[in-house]
Amino acid sequence: MFKYLNHLVVSKFVMAVTGIIILLFVTGHAIGNLQIFIGKEALNAYAAFLQGLGEILWIIRIVLIIALLLHIITSIYLKLYNNGARPDKYVVTSYVKAKLNSRTMIWTGIMIAAFLGYHILHFTVGSIQPENYNQEEIYTKNAYSVGMGMNAHIANPEEHRGSVLNKVVYERHDVYKMVILGFRNPYVSGLYILGMILLGFHLSHALQSFFQTLGMAGPRFSPFIRTFSNWYGTITAIVFLIVPLAILLGFIGGNV
Amino acid sequence: MKLQLNIWRQENKDSKGAIKNYKLNEVDEDMSFLEMMDILNEDLIHKGEEPVVFEHDCREGICGTCGMVVDGRPHGKEHGTTVCQLHMRKFNDGDKITIEPFRAKGFPIIRDLAVDRSAYDRIMQAGGFISQNIGSAQDANALPISKNVADLAMDAASCIGCGACAAACPNGSAMLFVSAKASQLNLLPQGQPEKAARARAMVRQMESEGFGGCSNYYECEASCPKNVSVNFIAKLNRDYLCATFKEGT
Repeated sequence: MFKYLNHLVVSKFVMAVTGIIILLFVTGHAIGNLQIFIGKEALNAYAAFLQGLGEILWIIRIVLIIALLLHIITSIYLKLYNNGARPDKYVVTSYVKAKLNSRTMIWTGIMIAAFLGYHILHFTVGSIQPENYNQEEIYTKNAYSVGMGMNAHIANPEEHRGSVLNKVVYERHDVYKMVILGFRNPYVSGLYILGMILLGFHLSHALQSFFQTLGMAGPRFSPFIRTFSNWYGTITAIVFLIVPLAILLGFIGGNV
Repeated sequence: MKLQLNIWRQENKDSKGAIKNYKLNEVDEDMSFLEMMDILNEDLIHKGEEPVVFEHDCREGICGTCGMVVDGRPHGKEHGTTVCQLHMRKFNDGDKITIEPFRAKGFPIIRDLAVDRSAYDRIMQAGGFISQNIGSAQDANALPISKNVADLAMDAASCIGCGACAAACPNGSAMLFVSAKASQLNLLPQGQPEKAARARAMVRQMESEGFGGCSNYYECEASCPKNVSVNFIAKLNRDYLCATFKEGT
């Protein structure tokens, strides 16, 4: 399966394709996060929708896990191979076009992978700050529009009897509260902000690299895509960053 | 002007090299960099020391024989020039200049600043040619080639094979050279029949010579004395991947 590693251009192709899959997911994730600014209802409904995807969610997860593993394995192999191709270092080093982001891809990549592990334990598995993770939200929907959902169950039906007319009471994971409580910790927020700066830095080289590796380059396109790539990394980082920043500064989440 | 030179001295491929310091007191600003090196070597010969070995031939910037790393830049800091076309007027009185050989696994050091670049010849032998029956040349206008394509092929063909790309690359990759030499043929109708085989054979030869892979640093383009564009690397990637999809690995 890993025979492709013997061919440098094919390895680069694997890096580009797996990278763009992760980049597209990251972009969707960044945009999805913004719903926290709309409010509790929007974010929790979005989270419940994603959880409700069932098999589709697992297909997406498996594709992402495979892409990530291939991306990491190939990058480490290429880095070691390429270091071996330049065994003796120059006494004086001077770079013109190799900017810091391209020269630190492996290091930002490793740090992002470590951050990803923390992030999954924090918000997906819930083993970091479990007290924030185990939050449930009781909400209601009009019975005539939704009906009695198969997955819905009535919490404390006795309490609601008579008071809730034509409504069904549901329970769902309170992502909004979990995020707000989590990011109120300045150390947690700081770690996320740092992780997202590294991610943006990584993406600023990654996107244009995808096009170059796949052979899309030209005298007008290449300068454009390199500038675009820098902006893409910067904006992605900012879109991610504003969530912990807004919570830390108290702009959102006052009602939790 | 006065200069302090820190030059890499190394007996042979296997010995351990080191930087040695030299002083030059009367350097004319109209000298080329290699003429400055000549003055140094004359000095060393007069003193009974071994002169610094470096390669050179035309000294007009077209043959691709010269090449050394000046202050961390192959061919020096000037863009689009070979080191023989670098002039001392670009330096200041009292400058300290560090001079090293091209460094890449594919370029073993012969002595001092001279490296063995025959790996590039073997890459050319692997696919840098077209196969054609001999006979009288056909009419020049029988094969229509657009001006854009002809210009692009000419840009690729301006590569002089000096090795600065691999020396500049943090990965010691020769992709800029390989892509220029493959593209100058792959762009033109005469190169089409062997396009896929050429892309693969030249890249594979590059791999087996010990050069690294491209990480899109674009440092090669910055050092190329002929300003060959990294867009040719993208084209080579495309040709190689198309060949792989068609024929398998």
